[in-house]
Amino acid sequence: MIEVRGLTKTYGKKDTAFKALDDINFVIPDGASVAIVGKSGSGKSTLMHAMSGLDRPERGEVVVDGVDILTLKRKAVDSFRSEKIGFIFQAFFVQANESSFENVALPLEIATLSAAVRKKRVEAALRVVGLSDKEKQKARNLSGGQKQRLAIARAIVNNPRIIFADEPTGNLDTVTGATIEKLLFGLNKKGGSTLVIVTHDEELAAKCDMKIYIKDGMIEKIIGGAK
Amino acid sequence: MKTFDIVRRAGRSLKHAKARTILTSLAIAVGAFTLTLAIAAGEGARQYADTLLSTNIDPQILAIAKDKSFFEGGQSGPQEYNPDISLMARPAGGSAVKLLSQADIDSIATRSDIDSVSPSFVINASYITRPNQKKYTVDVTQYDKGVTKTVIAGELPPLRTSIKDDQIALPEEYVSLLGFASAEQAIGKSVTINLERTPNPTPAEIQAALTQGVAALQNLGVTESKAVTYTVVAVVGKSATSLTASSNVQVSDAAAKSLSEFSTQGTSSFQKYVIATASVKEGVDPAVVKEALVKEGYGVQTAKDLQGLLFTIVNILQGIVIGFGVLALITSVFGIINTQYISVLERTREIGLMKALGMRGRHVSRLFQFEAAWIGFLGGTIGSVVAVVAGIALNPWITSILTLGEGNYLLVFQPIPILALVVVLMLIAMLAGYFPARKAARLDPIEALRTE
Repeated sequence: MIEVRGLTKTYGKKDTAFKALDDINFVIPDGASVAIVGKSGSGKSTLMHAMSGLDRPERGEVVVDGVDILTLKRKAVDSFRSEKIGFIFQAFFVQANESSFENVALPLEIATLSAAVRKKRVEAALRVVGLSDKEKQKARNLSGGQKQRLAIARAIVNNPRIIFADEPTGNLDTVTGATIEKLLFGLNKKGGSTLVIVTHDEELAAKCDMKIYIKDGMIEKIIGGAK
Repeated sequence: MKTFDIVRRAGRSLKHAKARTILTSLAIAVGAFTLTLAIAAGEGARQYADTLLSTNIDPQILAIAKDKSFFEGGQSGPQEYNPDISLMARPAGGSAVKLLSQADIDSIATRSDIDSVSPSFVINASYITRPNQKKYTVDVTQYDKGVTKTVIAGELPPLRTSIKDDQIALPEEYVSLLGFASAEQAIGKSVTINLERTPNPTPAEIQAALTQGVAALQNLGVTESKAVTYTVVAVVGKSATSLTASSNVQVSDAAAKSLSEFSTQGTSSFQKYVIATASVKEGVDPAVVKEALVKEGYGVQTAKDLQGLLFTIVNILQGIVIGFGVLALITSVFGIINTQYISVLERTREIGLMKALGMRGRHVSRLFQFEAAWIGFLGGTIGSVVAVVAGIALNPWITSILTLGEGNYLLVFQPIPILALVVVLMLIAMLAGYFPARKAARLDPIEALRTE
């Protein structure tokens, strides 16, 4: 369960102050698929950064499994992200020079797992996304859809509690986008990890259990979900 | 992240930027090359000096002077007069040295730990000649028992043993001057040393002459001369590993003493010596004897001291070369800093991703520092390997140019100093990588991953 309470984030000082997030409250049940929907500049990315511990809003709580991650020390936040969060980005952010295997192994190396365990987990993750045959290929030689599948493998390899996907299909054509969507929702249904998709794409949002609409840093409406 | 995994990733990152990595490490390689050669040359020079001394100089030999100031450049300024202490002005001027008296020599000779002691005699020979040949100027010194000589013809006794009193060791250059067909021809032949002195009549001699009239008085003023004939026992030449490359004619101690006393008789320098050479008994540590003699006020140097002096010179020269190597290194440090800054800029996304995935800032910093260390390792290895290969290839040539003698090499490479050098270079490179690494560690992942 993820509880967000009274989250407020302000950029700038006094006169030029600008509220990117203004008193955001919602609860996401475990294993749900959630869309955070809003136009660019609405504050949806800031919300994702705050929920994943990348950013520190000055007010509010983000309670994951009973712990308010905003009160944690930096080191604890780092291990929180390493153990419980997976990221998928619009621009993939795979390391072009590295092989598929090394790309997927990175989160496990950060989590200080042994090489033997890493090998097993990476191979499993690559199998899930259907890239087993590309294990030794450099990421730069993959197509856009394959890159995003690689990024998904990297996001799921450490069995995270929450996967954040920031416009995961934004850089892909419709057909490839659809396969990626299918993969993401399939994993969400099977794996039990919570999927949080940040998007401005209504069609994609419609496929989620819960939709949180953000406008000018405030919640416009919440459709679905627990309450 | 585990250190091993960080090192591995650092190595891979460098492999992905091959040209940049190699160019940066080449700058370090220049420094490593210079330093490796400097260390090798220093080691080689020390070993050479060591060989030179150990094969040439009897380790039991002591050089003894009246006081320690002799080995420090002599007394300077006016000294208090003391009839028992003679001073001799040095040719360089400014300083004077106290002289050893016969009593000093005798007292040293009675020591139980000393085999023999002989002062170095000053001999003012006029010329050397042999029948039906021209006369040539000559420097006569006493035979040095403690130093190996290069024998061209004839035979010399082993170290610590002197030639006989009627024998003479002739330098190579006198062979043809004195009309010998070859060095072998000279062996066993006679040569004559001639000395002259201005008379120094005693009051009794003057008294006697006065009674004998004008002729006898005139006779007192005639320059006296003395001719001594010796048999050539050996012809000595110059060699690369010989310390004495002098053109002195050498005679035994006793012969030298009689020649010296002929010319100094009646003068203030009669039986006064600048320096004496003592031979310490086998099995006795020369350093112990030195200490005892120093306590008595003498200035003493052992063969080891001489070695120390040579080493000091070698060390100074080596220091200069190392200085150049260090300059090259300083330059390369800026190269590393620059390269690593560019690398951080280029890899902003990668750093942002790693931090988003929970990698600690400290580990990001370490990643870049290890990359710098890899560059240092690569540069150090390239530089030292090239230096070793070039050194080994050039050694025979250097040996022949510097006439160091067969089997002696100027550049002596040893694994431990080279390994230490590479490690030090890695540490320096890591230090240079500190600022870029800190920049990487402080990068804000949100900023780094912003796409629009």
